[in-house]
Amino acid sequence: MIKSCYIHIPFCNTICSYCDFCKLLYNEKIVDSYLEHLEKEIRSIYKNEILDTIYIGGGTPSSLNLYQLDKLFNILNILKKSDNIEYTIECNFDSITIDKLKLFKKYGINRLSFGLESTIKNNLDILERNISKNMVRKTIKQCRSLGFNNINIDLMYAIPNENIIDLEKDIDFILSLDVEHISTYSLIIEEHTKLYINNTNYISEDLDYEMYKLICNKLNNYNHYEISNFAKEGYYSRHNMCYWKNRKYYGFGLGASSYILDKRINNTKSINKYLEDKYIFDYEKLNKSDIINYEMILGLRLIEGINKEEFYLKYNKNINDLYDLEKLTSQGLIVDNGINIYIPLDKLYISNEILVNFIKE
Amino acid sequence: MKRENIRNFCIIAHIDHGKSTIADRILERTGSISSRELKSQMLDDMEIERERGITIKLNAVQIKYKYNNEEYFFNLIDTPGHVDFSYEVSRSLAACEGALLVVDASQGIEAQTLANLYLALDNGLKIIPVINKIDLPNADIDKVIKELENIGFSKDEIILTSAKTGEGIDKLLESIVTNIPSPSGDVNHSLRALIFDSLFDSYRGVITSIRVVDGSIKVGDTILMMETGATYEVIGLSINTPKEKEVTSLIAGEVGYLYASIKSITDVKVGDTITLKDNPAASILPGYKEMKPMVYCGLYPIEANKFEDLREALEKLKLNDAALSFEPETSKALGFGFRCGFLGLLHMEIIEERIEREFNIELIATSPSVIYEVLLTDKTKLTIDSPVKMPDRSVISKTYEPYVKASIFSPKEYIGPIMELCQDRRGTFINMDYLDSSRVTIYYEIPLSEIVYDFFDKLKSYSKGYASFDYEFIGYKESNLVKMDILLNGEIVDALSVVVHKDFAYKRGKVVVEKLKEIIPRQLFEVPIQAAIGSHVIARENIKAMRKNVLAKCYGGDITRKKKLLEKQKAGKKRMKQIGSVEVPQEAFLSILSTSDK
Repeated sequence: MIKSCYIHIPFCNTICSYCDFCKLLYNEKIVDSYLEHLEKEIRSIYKNEILDTIYIGGGTPSSLNLYQLDKLFNILNILKKSDNIEYTIECNFDSITIDKLKLFKKYGINRLSFGLESTIKNNLDILERNISKNMVRKTIKQCRSLGFNNINIDLMYAIPNENIIDLEKDIDFILSLDVEHISTYSLIIEEHTKLYINNTNYISEDLDYEMYKLICNKLNNYNHYEISNFAKEGYYSRHNMCYWKNRKYYGFGLGASSYILDKRINNTKSINKYLEDKYIFDYEKLNKSDIINYEMILGLRLIEGINKEEFYLKYNKNINDLYDLEKLTSQGLIVDNGINIYIPLDKLYISNEILVNFIKE
Repeated sequence: MKRENIRNFCIIAHIDHGKSTIADRILERTGSISSRELKSQMLDDMEIERERGITIKLNAVQIKYKYNNEEYFFNLIDTPGHVDFSYEVSRSLAACEGALLVVDASQGIEAQTLANLYLALDNGLKIIPVINKIDLPNADIDKVIKELENIGFSKDEIILTSAKTGEGIDKLLESIVTNIPSPSGDVNHSLRALIFDSLFDSYRGVITSIRVVDGSIKVGDTILMMETGATYEVIGLSINTPKEKEVTSLIAGEVGYLYASIKSITDVKVGDTITLKDNPAASILPGYKEMKPMVYCGLYPIEANKFEDLREALEKLKLNDAALSFEPETSKALGFGFRCGFLGLLHMEIIEERIEREFNIELIATSPSVIYEVLLTDKTKLTIDSPVKMPDRSVISKTYEPYVKASIFSPKEYIGPIMELCQDRRGTFINMDYLDSSRVTIYYEIPLSEIVYDFFDKLKSYSKGYASFDYEFIGYKESNLVKMDILLNGEIVDALSVVVHKDFAYKRGKVVVEKLKEIIPRQLFEVPIQAAIGSHVIARENIKAMRKNVLAKCYGGDITRKKKLLEKQKAGKKRMKQIGSVEVPQEAFLSILSTSDK
């Protein structure tokens, strides 16, 4: 049963130097045409399930104009929503307006996710972003006054030349906004990005780790519930939990991914193909062992880890029979408390070393 | 076929001086092969040979040539050009009465050519000097003629050729007829045939290359290998023209192939004499002096289950490479493998490459070692072919290592850097000869172990590629040798131990641990790398604990991609060797070869 849906809006007003998501520069005509084909895709695939979470991501969904946003929400009214739906849209501070926020409210959006990334000048220069603290404070205030009570802010760190003091300033600023949810990312210099092409170097592995520790310490009033995610009690991202719990979801739009029946599907990233209604780029058909691989590598991202009983009910197999957990627990890489298995906090930042033990060929 | 009309000869030349192209041209000119059929370098039929441009396996081809209305039969026996293969050269020489000495008109004589020339003269061969590549714009024919005169040839003996254009080839063919003697030997004596090469064919078993010295052999004869005592019935005889052609018999003076359903590789020994079981010869042919391996290293299959495959590969290679030796050995770090002996570094590299390419076995090779001699306090003498076998220092009285006399040919402007290199390698200067006003030969006594590392590469880079060198073993000398161990996380990695001169141990240890620090990735915990002599640590570096290996974000769009990333990491780990609790990449085992100070 599918209960979650992701909608991709690939348009942005500017392209950031590090971004390797599926994105295009905003163009009014292409957006109009895109929305038509998005509607076609949804209608051809969606099977009328009642959804618990919808997440509109990008790109920058808030880069669409009011008319286009209205059209988008009308299309999304095809989707049936449960009474307690989590309905998220991603926004950028430089394209959000009070009118757009009001429109969100009107269509039932109840969670806002803002890409802040940093407020430090050096960082913003490298990332090629433009943000002022005043703008941020003002926007958050507007959101609150309109009644939005579930807001996420993204923080990026480990940016070239960044030091630990810069990061502390960014964290303090975000804390002062008193939002419900904070996502953090250590910068990845992906191929095909401007940073990569310019041969940008990573900061040292040791400093990166120090930064992660600082974040974990300073956000101690939040629940650290996933490797990079922190939330106040009751405000975990339910949509992202769907991914980490290895549940199925729809993904509509350019470059979106979905997990439907036994397939993980990736949509095309070519706008031309998409506008010819050739949505699918490729897919991976999963057998039981593939599904368990995903269950492990996703579930162990969560601080609480994987519940052994739930695992048994789902796969009719004992997790302890499938893996040599004793070897990992004896090395302190996995904790098995009888109810859950999880990666201890001090090993989260090297979790790949642990996760490879749960991938079977 | 008249014995007087047979000419058996080989070609001696330095790498790249055009030996194989001359052979090609002879084949073409005599109509043995049309130019359409001629794959460049017809005689080199192994992939590696053609790629590296060097001949590493023997090959014999029969060529018909008409001269003054007489038909002559040439047997051209190919020889390897590199110093490591002087053993194989001596094998080919024993099957010949003459040799073409081919020298590049722009390069002049090289050290190895000279060494092989002396070997040929020792074997009593008639030499025809040939200056090749005279078409090159930078050819300096007069200078090369002078060089040849300096080593005892007269100007009118010398033949000028361009294998590329074909110029001079006819004159060369005539000279072969008129100057190289026909084979001696008596057809009426009992059979004596020398095995000078062999190879394994999956259909016919072992095929041997033979030179009939006395008597004759025919299909159906029962033969006796005089040294191994094995007997077989001859199933087939053939010659290479250069396509294989069946014949019913071979007589004294002829060269050809013999097969006899020989399944057991050990029955055939290159250098052995074949005779008839019913009419055996009274004495064995002088064979060859057995070449002893000079350089040893451990070869281990990367996949542990390929151990038996590796044994089979080594056995097959040994068939036509008597100088290769091997015996099983076990390493704590690397598992089951073989300790293998080689004539030199190139020999080692070629065997490794052939195993990987022709037999599809991926290898880890340990650091090469020479054979050391150790005198114990109780007066026992040991020979050590692997650092692992080095006894504890407390029971050692004296240690000895093999020395070679290195002859280095070079343009004089590189004398300085070359001498510096030799000095750096513990060399002792002997003397220096001027070959002409611009070229010198420098003689050094150097420990073989110093040459075994990257001496050749260094020599080439110090001389911009112009220097060449040859070496001969001159004996053992006392030397202050110690075994240096490498410890990872406190545990000795046996495959990384080396024997070094004590005065150089610190420098070497430092270079090696630094190199290992670069190569071994961070682990889950901090790993000390130490170089130690006994319990005395002489160099140390730390690999810091891994701090970060995480998929920082992982959302809907990323999931399949991130799983692929983890699968890639897992595959990477599989290629590493687990040593204790440390994962070591395969390149680490080669790092010990690194001697650079940078």
